[in-house]
Amino acid sequence: MKNWKYVAINIFLIFHILAISTWCLPMTNPFVQVCRFAVRPYFVWTGLFQSWDMFSPQPETTNAYLEAIVLYQDGSTKIWSFPRMDLLSLNERYHKERYRKFVEVLLDGKNSVLWPDVARHVARLPGIREGNPKKILLLARWSTIVYQDDGTFTRSPLDEDVFYRYDVEPGDLQ
Amino acid sequence: MKANSFLGAWNGFFFAKQSPIPLALFRLAYGTVVISTLFLLHADWISWYGPNAWVRLSTIGTMEPGPRLNLFTVIPQSDLWVRILFWVFLVSAVCLASGLLTRVNSIVVFACLASIQQRNLLILHGGDTFLRVAGFFLMFAPAGSALSLDRLIRIWRGKEGVEIRPHRPWAQRMIQFELALLYFAGFCSKIEGGSWVQGTALYYVYHLDELQRFPIPSWFFHPVILKLGTWFALALEFSMGVLIWIKELRYPLLAVGVLFHLSLEYSLNIPMFQWDVLSAYILFVDPVDLTRFWNWIRTRAGRYFGEQMNVIYDGASERRLRIVNMLRAIDILGRLSFADLRDSPARLDAARQDAQNQLLVSTSSGLRRGRDGLRALARVVPLLWPLAILLRIQQLWTPRIATSTKAG
Repeated sequence: MKNWKYVAINIFLIFHILAISTWCLPMTNPFVQVCRFAVRPYFVWTGLFQSWDMFSPQPETTNAYLEAIVLYQDGSTKIWSFPRMDLLSLNERYHKERYRKFVEVLLDGKNSVLWPDVARHVARLPGIREGNPKKILLLARWSTIVYQDDGTFTRSPLDEDVFYRYDVEPGDLQ
Repeated sequence: MKANSFLGAWNGFFFAKQSPIPLALFRLAYGTVVISTLFLLHADWISWYGPNAWVRLSTIGTMEPGPRLNLFTVIPQSDLWVRILFWVFLVSAVCLASGLLTRVNSIVVFACLASIQQRNLLILHGGDTFLRVAGFFLMFAPAGSALSLDRLIRIWRGKEGVEIRPHRPWAQRMIQFELALLYFAGFCSKIEGGSWVQGTALYYVYHLDELQRFPIPSWFFHPVILKLGTWFALALEFSMGVLIWIKELRYPLLAVGVLFHLSLEYSLNIPMFQWDVLSAYILFVDPVDLTRFWNWIRTRAGRYFGEQMNVIYDGASERRLRIVNMLRAIDILGRLSFADLRDSPARLDAARQDAQNQLLVSTSSGLRRGRDGLRALARVVPLLWPLAILLRIQQLWTPRIATSTKAG
């Protein structure tokens, strides 16, 4: 191997090993923070950003579902539910699992910027758009998993909350 | 002295040439899981990535600012263009899996994969992230140097012999590094959470309604079993991140890892995650062991594929030599042996005249030549089975055409 090639590959390797390690290992050292900040533009552009935190540091402790209440211009209402994995067939739930993840993200208050898009999309869905929807309410339902020392399973009663209201504009339905 | 030994170990690890077969198998597995992911998403391509998707492109830009490798920002915002992008992605993934224009397709696959993930970051799991980062390093790897159509083309053009050339595995090592880091970072993140340390985490995981898949026996939910299971998952993640680099522990750990992921695939509904991760396990297998394993399969499975055949050829003809090299490369079960007329003139004297013009295939029922010989070969070499089907179809059609011509 040519010398310059060997040097270039080594720089590439050392940079990526250090950068990826500092990026995804949970370290709070100020130097690590500086490194993360420095490599962020490169990682974000290339797609090398990564986090390996499935079910961690704590797994979810609630079963949460998302529904949309559709209020039509004529005063009628309809409830539209996001695909719920536990109500789908084995095959369907393998195809539609992304909806579960999406709902998990939506129900996090930090992601409220997404709510108008979601409400707008619900208003445009076939079967809803034709009825001329006026308002979309996003409704969360959840129940907490209560840990039992004997291993039996209990859950708290289902709770619910309308956490977002969206006024449908005529342009949304076109 | 220490610096020298470190440098030696570094060079040995990243630059000592080795067979690219594990990498080629990874490429095959990687392409397959990418294709499967695309098929699973197919019904929702427009819902997730179209101009009026669940989340708009502009909203993602607001949420995750900064320039990104995202082809959706370049193509016109219409359903048609989104579909075109996905079909290009799919075709490219098929080409990557089969090793056709491997380098180009590894770049196209990475660009498309990164784009669909950047377009909607909200529906990803760890397996998707692993595919993306592994895809980045795959672009730098000699992924088409074995078990690929590229290799067959190179053999046909006379640019490469039958022997698979060793390569420097530095890019492969980075994918291995990513896999180990996936586990180790997961371990570090988990031990920060009380439920993993206390041993209650799996209780919650297995009571999340929407994650459940196939039924789990009731004894699994005994508190002691759940605690042991939780701690076992922690121990395995640590081991796969750290101890996997110790050669003596590698194969037992890989075996336990496979069982662990298969059990998760059975019990939890996280599509493709386990397969995305398992696809990279092959990179940890020593090429020598892979060859030994394949030879073992060959000797046991080979006999089920019909009699061994001898291909007689004239080595003086460059064209026939290239065909023979191609046959050698695709004869993965070792069903063929080869005889060059120049090496054994006496024994093959009878065939000399014929073999100067074409390949001859010696079977138990005698010498076969031309299309008949090709048909015989196609039956015993699995990679030629598509050809066997085509020849069979042609054989069925030919008499009909002849009959109809006569009738006309």
